[in-house]
Amino acid sequence: MEPIIKIQGVHKYFGTLEALKGVNLEVQKGEVVVIIGPSGSGKSTMLRCINRLEEFDEGSIIVDGIPLDTAENINAVRTEVGMVFQQFNLFPHLSVLENVLLAQQIVRKRDRAEAEKVGMALLNKVGIPEKAKYFPGQLSGGQQQRVAIARALAMNPKIMLFDEPTSALDPEMIQEVLDVMVALAREGMTMVVVSHEMGFARACAHRAILMDAGQIIEEASPDVLFSHPTHERTKAFLSKVLH
Amino acid sequence: MSINPLSALPASVASAARTAKNERFDRWWIMVAAVVALVLLLITLKPDPYKNLFLFVRDGVWRTTYITIISFVLVIVFGLFVGLARLSKHKAIRGVATVYVEIIRGIPMMVQIIYWAFALPAIIQEMGSAWNIPSFMEYRPDGIVMAIFGLTFGYSAYMSEVYRAGIQSISKGQMEAARSLGMTYVQAMRYIIVPQAVRVILPPMGNELITLLKDTALVSAVAIPELTRRGREFSSANFNPIETWTMVALLYLVMTLLATRLVAYLEKMARYER
Repeated sequence: MEPIIKIQGVHKYFGTLEALKGVNLEVQKGEVVVIIGPSGSGKSTMLRCINRLEEFDEGSIIVDGIPLDTAENINAVRTEVGMVFQQFNLFPHLSVLENVLLAQQIVRKRDRAEAEKVGMALLNKVGIPEKAKYFPGQLSGGQQQRVAIARALAMNPKIMLFDEPTSALDPEMIQEVLDVMVALAREGMTMVVVSHEMGFARACAHRAILMDAGQIIEEASPDVLFSHPTHERTKAFLSKVLH
Repeated sequence: MSINPLSALPASVASAARTAKNERFDRWWIMVAAVVALVLLLITLKPDPYKNLFLFVRDGVWRTTYITIISFVLVIVFGLFVGLARLSKHKAIRGVATVYVEIIRGIPMMVQIIYWAFALPAIIQEMGSAWNIPSFMEYRPDGIVMAIFGLTFGYSAYMSEVYRAGIQSISKGQMEAARSLGMTYVQAMRYIIVPQAVRVILPPMGNELITLLKDTALVSAVAIPELTRRGREFSSANFNPIETWTMVALLYLVMTLLATRLVAYLEKMARYER
């Protein structure tokens, strides 16, 4: 089957620093892939290349059959790919509900009633329908991140990208966000997750990938990668993270 | 599925709305009232010269007001385009905008106004006679129009910097979140960045409005009969500089204080929970 995400030979430079050194990755529809690696290893950069928030200098990325080349194609891909950020990035001047409605209305061209139906259903799904009229600033970090997930899902994406979704959260709020992600994975959503949440990876991921210095070092099922890594760099990284 | 948990407004939103309403007439209005009262007091208690003076400069007040309003509306629009151009990723667009801002900021406003009023029409007339274009040769622009152009062109440079700083103050993540949802750049600007930037922009924008209002006095140099010009006319005809310039100063003060209140009100409207 044709992979839904196909990354081929992608290089990315920040000035003279080569952040991605020829990355190849294929993700199948319905697959959950977790990417781990030390900071600065290029994992977030690679994730951000998938919806072209980050431009890449060489190589190609094809998402759901659409190559990321023209502005038109990039926008088409972005409507099919939801993204959740470390810093939530909710729109602070809009209520929770408006956060979830805006893109549905102006990008998907849904009318208000339909968008509201979708939006409220998703706020129910992430467990905070009662906060619909609040502003993001009145919510806890965990609640904000759940709204951010609902906002992305409102576009009915085929793929969800998570960029360290729990790294900015207080420890007691991590689980509520992970629960939403687990539910999403169980429903068969294609997910690419940059995260060091080993519990989530073991429970849901089909594949775990270790990146270091702009390259994919090792990939395997989470259990194999975490318990029996073959590569020295994987072992070194895991020994630091798992303590 | 029911869509009803929306009915109960959070308490803090309701209370914020209440406070805003109570503060619509905050205590700074007392100052406006005091200055207005002082003007009225002078007019009633000492009609000669204050009443005559007021009646004489009245059309000047009106002219100052509409030069300010028209220029400012144009500055708001033109300044936004220059500000966005300054942030453009295209080098050429950014370069043109930057050169414009640097040139304008390097020339005194007074000189710019005189240039628009006298030099520019003369240039067009010269061009007309050089290339034999009759409509250019007889080019006599309306003085107020040129004054408004001069103020607009000059103030847009400053306003563009206000916009630029405001837009840059919004975190990059906001644009990324908007684009990741499939919004175009223009949609992201319109629905996400600008509405947030307005909050940051309003106070310095208010300063620009008040400075512009005061700088309309400069166009008296090109014979536009606005408030300052009318004051000078009255003062030289009646030899009463103290009374004249006291009244003119008070009338400017009424206008600037009102403008300050207007801006403060808009700032309150633009607030939201954070």
